[in-house]
Amino acid sequence: MADIGNVGSPTENTMPNVQVSGKPTFSERMQLLMYRVRQDWQIYVLLAPAIIWFLIFLYKPMYGLQIAFKDYSVFLGITGSDWVGLEHFQTLFGSDQFLRAVRNTIQISAWSLLFGFPAPIILALMFNEILKETFKKTAQTIVYLPHFISSVIIAGIIITAFSPSAGVVNTFLSWIGIDPVYFLTKPEWFRPIFIGTGIWQEAGFQSIVFLASIAGVNPSLYESAVVDGASRWQMMWKITLPSILPTIIIMLIIRIGNIMEVSFEMIILLYQPATYETADVVNTFIYRQGIQGGQYDLAAAAGLFNAVVAFTLVMTANTISKRFSRTSLW
Amino acid sequence: MHKLKLTALAVATSVLATTAPAVLAADDLKITDKPLELTIHMHHKRYTSYDENWPVEKAACEWTNVCLKNATIGSNTTNSEEAMNLLLASGKLPDIVGSGRIKDVANQYGPQGAFQPLEELIEKHAPNLQAFFEQNPAIKSSLKAADGHIYYLPYAPDGKYGRAFFIRYDWLDKLGLEVPDTVEEYENVLRAFKTQDPNGNGIADEVPYFARQWEELIRLVTLWDGRSSGSDTYHDYYVDNGQIKHPYAEVGYREGMKNLARWYKEGLIDAEIFTRGSSSREYLLSENLGGATHDWFASTAGYNDSLAEKVPGFAFKAMVPPASVSGVQMEEHRRIPVKPDGWAMGGTNKHPVETIKYMDFWFGEEGRRLSNFGIEGEQYTMVDGKPQFTEEFLASGNVNSQLYLIGAQLQARGYWMDYNYEIQWSNKYALEGIDLYESGDYLVDQFLGVAFNEKEQKVYDRYAAQLRTYMLERQQAWILGTGDVEADWDDYMKTLNKMGLSKVLDVMQSAYDRQYGS
Amino acid sequence: MNNSVQQPNVALKSIVKRYGDVEVVRGIDLEIADKEFVVLVGPSGCGKSTTLRMIAGLEEISDGELYIEDRKVNLVAPKDRDVAMVFQNYALYPHLNVAGNIAFGLNIRKVPKDEINRLVTEVAEILGLTPYLERRPADLSGGQRQRVAMGRAIVRHPKVFLFDEPLSNLDAKLRTQMRAEIKRLHKRLGVTSVYVTHDQVEAMTLADRIVVMADGRIEQVGTPMELFNNPVNTFVASFMGSPPMNQLDAVVESNAEGSFAMFGGQKIALPELEELQGADGRKVVVGVRPEHVFIEPTEDSSPIKVELDLIETLGSEALLHTHVGDTPFVVKAETHGDIDHLSSIDTIYIPTRRVKVFDGETQMAYGFVKAEG
Repeated sequence: MADIGNVGSPTENTMPNVQVSGKPTFSERMQLLMYRVRQDWQIYVLLAPAIIWFLIFLYKPMYGLQIAFKDYSVFLGITGSDWVGLEHFQTLFGSDQFLRAVRNTIQISAWSLLFGFPAPIILALMFNEILKETFKKTAQTIVYLPHFISSVIIAGIIITAFSPSAGVVNTFLSWIGIDPVYFLTKPEWFRPIFIGTGIWQEAGFQSIVFLASIAGVNPSLYESAVVDGASRWQMMWKITLPSILPTIIIMLIIRIGNIMEVSFEMIILLYQPATYETADVVNTFIYRQGIQGGQYDLAAAAGLFNAVVAFTLVMTANTISKRFSRTSLW
Repeated sequence: MHKLKLTALAVATSVLATTAPAVLAADDLKITDKPLELTIHMHHKRYTSYDENWPVEKAACEWTNVCLKNATIGSNTTNSEEAMNLLLASGKLPDIVGSGRIKDVANQYGPQGAFQPLEELIEKHAPNLQAFFEQNPAIKSSLKAADGHIYYLPYAPDGKYGRAFFIRYDWLDKLGLEVPDTVEEYENVLRAFKTQDPNGNGIADEVPYFARQWEELIRLVTLWDGRSSGSDTYHDYYVDNGQIKHPYAEVGYREGMKNLARWYKEGLIDAEIFTRGSSSREYLLSENLGGATHDWFASTAGYNDSLAEKVPGFAFKAMVPPASVSGVQMEEHRRIPVKPDGWAMGGTNKHPVETIKYMDFWFGEEGRRLSNFGIEGEQYTMVDGKPQFTEEFLASGNVNSQLYLIGAQLQARGYWMDYNYEIQWSNKYALEGIDLYESGDYLVDQFLGVAFNEKEQKVYDRYAAQLRTYMLERQQAWILGTGDVEADWDDYMKTLNKMGLSKVLDVMQSAYDRQYGS
Repeated sequence: MNNSVQQPNVALKSIVKRYGDVEVVRGIDLEIADKEFVVLVGPSGCGKSTTLRMIAGLEEISDGELYIEDRKVNLVAPKDRDVAMVFQNYALYPHLNVAGNIAFGLNIRKVPKDEINRLVTEVAEILGLTPYLERRPADLSGGQRQRVAMGRAIVRHPKVFLFDEPLSNLDAKLRTQMRAEIKRLHKRLGVTSVYVTHDQVEAMTLADRIVVMADGRIEQVGTPMELFNNPVNTFVASFMGSPPMNQLDAVVESNAEGSFAMFGGQKIALPELEELQGADGRKVVVGVRPEHVFIEPTEDSSPIKVELDLIETLGSEALLHTHVGDTPFVVKAETHGDIDHLSSIDTIYIPTRRVKVFDGETQMAYGFVKAEG
């Protein structure tokens, strides 16, 4: 450590002559830090936008979280508003509809995790097995496409497709002799339709990260397996999947962290009072509450609740993963 | 003394204005001797910023000597509430704040000092507004915040009619049916549409009753003496002999829902009414499938022109509301006389007197004409003492859009619409329909809303949204047949009360009494 | 070579590999006897790895025929060729432990569990991996990983081992150690092995027979000593041996005493070779291995004036980097524990019988005797 002064070129401002014996004092450490910043300033400049972004958009707003415990007035500001303690939380948890929304949120997330999470992995594995390059590219483009269509249009497509009079789904059902079903007003159909839509829209795009991970697998693993006599199926199971397992686990943990974030616009576009029973999630509940007159404090309370749940889930998932698979986010 | 003089002046100018050239009249509209500059935040989803170069504004500036300077915050969003929040959070309010949906903001933050109370200023310095309020006391009441003050001046629509019952007259003729007068006849006609193939394609694909907003299906409960809303907002409370009620907790509604569920099941209602959305009218009419609806006069009547070629014989015209089971003919929807849009005076405004005079200007004759018709000689000319849009202007495209471009008909301003402006470009079928509705007395009084005090607001916030959620869930379930209104009703009412309906009605009532009581 | 005695275990006949229009292997003929250890050596891009991968079945053979134990295997799947391959980067499965890696091929072939356990234990014992069976590759040292990779090949008892530069990721010391281990293993198991490397030292130490390749062709095949002593051309001469053979451009001149190579006013006596008859004035390349040069006068040697640039000490020996004219010339000399006596050297002595002569045009060796089996 004492030799660090030799690292820079002789003409450069050399570091202050810090003789470190034992633990460096605070000022010594600051000197060292300043020296390093001076020495590698280009790197710190590159780092700066990310840090500034985090501070401004993620850390500073945390100050505003306190409105969850205040009777917030935009005009009076955060500090000017009165404290109300846990009133907003009492309002939320005193409401059956909020609890139903929490239940629905978790159910929709859990089901879409169950079906939606494996979909891009399966897709990526399938793409990986396609040998013909042009066919592969075409297929990939086709499945990526829905990702780039706006939710409003997707919802329009879904509504049309499931329409009882002209929709393809009901047309098909009528061929096999089943009466048309008004799917979008049936609570029991909302989740399958919503989750299916989500998979259709995002699976292709999400498969990119897994494809990238697959591309990173050492090709000699496959060659070695070929020599050992493995079939393609065996290679997929015994090499590809285990090799991308760390990616899968990381993605899973991230996904679990978003479990309270159900695609809000899509629900707003697809749900009906008739399907609130299964479709109303925390975000839509808050949205309807908020219409009554900018209840930011209540929304903040619900947001805080969401964040706490998500944080707990991520911590748990990470710990479990760390223990059993040695893969973790941190 | 001062007030008297001003009133006299105003009267004098308005007399003059009808005869003398506008320029002469304008000289007498001066509010200050020296030009005064006031700042303004003006935000509406169609024009997210104030433009000093709007011809209407230039004229107003010239006439009054009060000129506005743009200080709009949040012009990059089309969401007025968002822009308003940015403005409020900035802590610095301009002299005038004009916005879509300003009512709640003004009433909530006015008492906190964000906006100045206006009623005293109006009394002293604003003869036109004073006159307007005297003519429309209910409007004045509706403006009051919970503390009794008035914090904003509204966009006040003119004219009465909004939506009406429309039906395919050509289909009626084809099937040899009369225009239905009662709910029974209406039902029979819809059934005939369904079963007798009026479009003549051999398939029973007709959609007897459809609507762009599924809430217009619920509107039909009026045919069984129920109510669906008390105002031009869906699902709103209504006033029955000074008593605040929720339409969805009344017996007439139950009867209506029972019958509508039957209609839906029978196919008299568009099976996809909940999801077909805003394009349904366009689609069902142009495909020659839709038979009847309840929709706006102007835009619906317009299809008689636009589909004349595509659907031969097409005649989709207004009919008077069918009589209900008790014989009442009610058109529940009408133009509300006061909108929650408008403008307010910033709490730190140093020139409250000049400002209120300026705001008053727009309710005076010249100001009203300027805000409704634009500039004389440009957009309109005076014909028999009345403004008349020029042919060129009417031919130059959508009238409202053209007017926004010059700064007229801005609803983020407190002004009084003149229905004459709209008549001049209305479809003849719409005017015909309006005449039809004028012939009877079908409209009902509107609930103009209340301003809560803090305690009332808390109660309302806590229960109202969830009540509505529950009501709508049941409502759709009953229509779709997954629940039976008769069987569920007692349970439904019990749940509503458990969810706080009576508490909400209580606070609404106390707020209403305070606001509209003597 | 003993292919006259035994059937060849692996035979390559005019093997060609093309990628589109580019030929990377241009017709290889090679017969590898049973239990023989053959090393393919050559600079990168010479086609040696491709050849190995064709034997393994990882690359299609564009032309020619490949036999393993008399069976033509051009179109036989890798797993049915009964070969095992060890890869340069070990190709260990990171998610499996050592035992799992060794057993991978057996599992694929659905060998019974008991049998797998027995074989894995046996192989681990042979390779000294028993204490590490439960570890994952990430927790092993480079040498241990290499051993696991070999274990995976050994455990299947294949007919042929294929090694693709297996030691190039190891540091020098480990490489020496592993080299010895591979050699020992081959002795013990006696399985036909084909080994690819670009390192001629590895080739020299391991091979029964070395195949030197360049530009998709075989330059020379022979035992290490044959190649060392009798390179077929300047390429092989410069490729084999460390440091490589010194090469001087010269012109032949003859007189009564014999032929001489003349260059920069100096001359080297050349051995008697058929090709030098009447070759006066012909351009040749004179090759002398560093270890064959003397620094003191000896019988039958030509003194050459050199300029000493640098002495590189190796311990008991030292490399004298000198130049003759513009041509660098390296001499390996004994130090006898002291290099002072080397620093004043200005003349070296080249024993005539050690001098190799190559044609200046074709670069082929004069007096080359094709080795007999």
